[in-house]
Amino acid sequence: MKFKVNGEDHEVDVPGDVPLLWVIREELNLLGTKFGCGKALCGACTVMVDGKARRSCVLPVGSVEGAEITTVEGLGEGGTLHAVQEAWLEENVVQCGYCQPGQIVQAAALLSVNENPSDAEIDSALSANLCRCGTYPRIRKAVKLAASKLGGQP
Amino acid sequence: MWNIPENQKGRKTRRVEARRSAVNFSRREFLKVSLTASGVLVMGVHFAGCSNGRGQMREEAESTGVFRPNAIIAIQPDGFVQVAVAKTEMGQGVFTSHAMLVAEELEVPLEMVRSYHPEAGPDYQTFGVQITGGSSSLKESFVPIREAAAAAREMLVLAAASAWGVPASECEAREGAIHHKDKSVPIGDLTRAASTQEIPSSPRIKTKDFKVIGQAKTRVDALEKVKGEAVFGIDVSVPGMLRAVVIRPPVMGSTLKSFDASAAEKETGVEAIFEFERGVAVVAQKYWQAMRASRLVKVEWNDDSKLKGLNSAELASEAARESRKSEPDIPAGLKVFEAEYASPYLSHSPMEPMNAAAWVKGDSAEIWAPLQWQSAAQGDIAMLLGIDRAKVKIHTTMLGGGFGRRLMIDYVVEAVLVARKLKKPVHVIWSREDDMRGGYYRPINHTRVVGGLDESGRIQALHYHTLSQSLLDLRDWLPGILPEWLPRIARTMAARAAGSLVESDMLPNALATEGASETAYRIPEHDVKYTQIRVDVPVSFWRSVGHSFNAFAMESFIDELAAAADKDPLAFRLEHLPQGSRERNVLEKAAELADFSGPRDSGWGKGIAVHKSFDTYCAEVVEARVTNGAIEVRRVWCVVDCGIVVNPDIVRQQMESCIIQGISAAIHQEITFENGHVIQGNFDDYKFIRLHETPEIFVDIVESNEAPTGVGEPGLPPVAPALAGAIFEVTGQRLRRMPFLQALKDTK
Repeated sequence: MKFKVNGEDHEVDVPGDVPLLWVIREELNLLGTKFGCGKALCGACTVMVDGKARRSCVLPVGSVEGAEITTVEGLGEGGTLHAVQEAWLEENVVQCGYCQPGQIVQAAALLSVNENPSDAEIDSALSANLCRCGTYPRIRKAVKLAASKLGGQP
Repeated sequence: MWNIPENQKGRKTRRVEARRSAVNFSRREFLKVSLTASGVLVMGVHFAGCSNGRGQMREEAESTGVFRPNAIIAIQPDGFVQVAVAKTEMGQGVFTSHAMLVAEELEVPLEMVRSYHPEAGPDYQTFGVQITGGSSSLKESFVPIREAAAAAREMLVLAAASAWGVPASECEAREGAIHHKDKSVPIGDLTRAASTQEIPSSPRIKTKDFKVIGQAKTRVDALEKVKGEAVFGIDVSVPGMLRAVVIRPPVMGSTLKSFDASAAEKETGVEAIFEFERGVAVVAQKYWQAMRASRLVKVEWNDDSKLKGLNSAELASEAARESRKSEPDIPAGLKVFEAEYASPYLSHSPMEPMNAAAWVKGDSAEIWAPLQWQSAAQGDIAMLLGIDRAKVKIHTTMLGGGFGRRLMIDYVVEAVLVARKLKKPVHVIWSREDDMRGGYYRPINHTRVVGGLDESGRIQALHYHTLSQSLLDLRDWLPGILPEWLPRIARTMAARAAGSLVESDMLPNALATEGASETAYRIPEHDVKYTQIRVDVPVSFWRSVGHSFNAFAMESFIDELAAAADKDPLAFRLEHLPQGSRERNVLEKAAELADFSGPRDSGWGKGIAVHKSFDTYCAEVVEARVTNGAIEVRRVWCVVDCGIVVNPDIVRQQMESCIIQGISAAIHQEITFENGHVIQGNFDDYKFIRLHETPEIFVDIVESNEAPTGVGEPGLPPVAPALAGAIFEVTGQRLRRMPFLQALKDTK
């Protein structure tokens, strides 16, 4: 099975029904993407598949043949942070941090197709990403800040 | 199977000031044990100290250039300062606050300070225990951490002064360097020289003019967390490590009847499938292999659990009936009111599922785990394996949330049991369902309150009877945390004795009554009675512990009495709170911030509550409405008084966190047992609020010079009663049972 992860070609030899999450974590050793619920209920495992946010814990690796996958490790370019990550630092969003890679990838996916999302659009895009620490108020602010950094109107 | 015993004699409660004498631990000469003004135990700092320690300090500096004057601080030649944080970073910000305390007294920029979890051990204990809980991490360490840093600073100053041949009093530590007039030297250049200086016996710490304390600094763990680089328990890997899943019984505690692993054993990567104390372990090279193989194992269980037949709804009804069996004496002439409040079992469900890695190697063991109670793990694993406690190495990872769940060490011991069999490092990873259905729970609670008002509408009597499972039952863990010099048999006996004390209700159950037994309201006759519900559901500390249900009952009842007296909930509270009390102060400030006495937006109600927990005072106003049977929370205002604030943004974070968890629990959450089975299994049927349901939250922090107190939990208790007050205001319906959404449905 072949696909691209964070711009690099990968080939793995695993059964096609293995969830992408575990291929990313155990075959590619990219540990930023997290296991939370195993049923697409919490979003800790969110990655981008061809630009769209997907729950990797229920996505069979066989279905991403040839796809371009982006994980939290692949968001920034050449050692710099993605605008969403910068905004996350400025708003002091993280607490335990476990869900944050999923939140950040979800937010980056939103901003890649909507550079100036409304409150309702932010709510709708991120409402499936659970945060047990309750960082939501700051996530909301950070998404807006990231949008303004990316050139959209705040 | 379970029964509620005869009513226990009520105990008149009174304020008891903790007065404990300092115990002299002679094992370590430079252990400092101190009590803060409020009687709180603080952690000790082990200074390199006498002959051996000082020799080691010099040797280390000589060979590596690292200056380590005590167990907390290590200064590297490059100027970076490593801070060993004895407490576990689980989101509450302890890496940042401890780093800030060090930066303050060592006079180094925060960017030069690095926090880490040291290997567990005596150097990081408070009175012999290393534990993170009770909102105590900052409270305990505020003075000792700064003293540890100040000692290092004074030794660096002495080193520079002696090199320059000037009096130390003319030198100053600033911005990571020691200065004298126009000369300066970076502290990294002084590590060897500093290690030869005398360790000051009473290092001087600041009492005012803080530079770092009080600043809203970005969390020191934020960067690695936004990059996905932070290492949580689930990310641990050591060479040769295997991954395991455990097939658990559908009803906790049932024993295995039989299993057939013939199909599963043929799966790729499978290393072993075997029966052990907790179920059937399926071990493979990789987690995904263990997962796949586990689905092919056929397992049959005996129907022999102690929880067999347990129904939580019946348990709640039984507790309610029990609460009505006795009537308190209310003085004649008072108008009598009563109400009953119920809170369900709750799950902690931190984001990171339970997991732990262990490696048992003959007479030693190594553990990598996200855990809150290192001492219990270390002691119990040592007992289990029959080895010395010092031979159990514990590496604490980042925690993907704790909320009390990771105080229990069942998942760590389980990893040891699996690893012992395989003689290889093994990482056991639980599923979400494993945790929600096989974990520990906040105890179910039923509380009946009877109050008497005089003619002027003042509370003259308040009788509070609370029924819950005991949280004091530590008999499983006690053998591990008792001192190691006690023979094993003595530890086991002590645990048994503790167990029977709990059974007999000889111990006053402070955790079951906290938040009710102590109240700032002036009530002439205030009586609190506790009845233990005896049932075998595993229970544990859940964020804010007893306060989580007692604040709901107490503050809701105060609201009800206010309504009975035909008074405004705010005015009624103020009438009963002493002038100058910190409760009164936060309450007045929260009311002002939320414009509580002002007009309401159409359809929206506001409720208010104040509660002290973990020495922190917190008042909240919640704005909510009910539409088509759904509860919407729009805004929450919070005023907190936690003494001196080290990082105001982390205090705000913790209040936001508590409020959101409090709303989730109040509206949605309930763990129900039906015929012994836990019904809920994942985030679809055990709901936490999401971004779109999150209210706007406004937090104000009281300026204070009092000693700092905890913030991890105190924001939670006022949420439920304030929300209930808002719903009452807007619907006229008083919700006395959590979760509110279910209570609303049931009353339709």
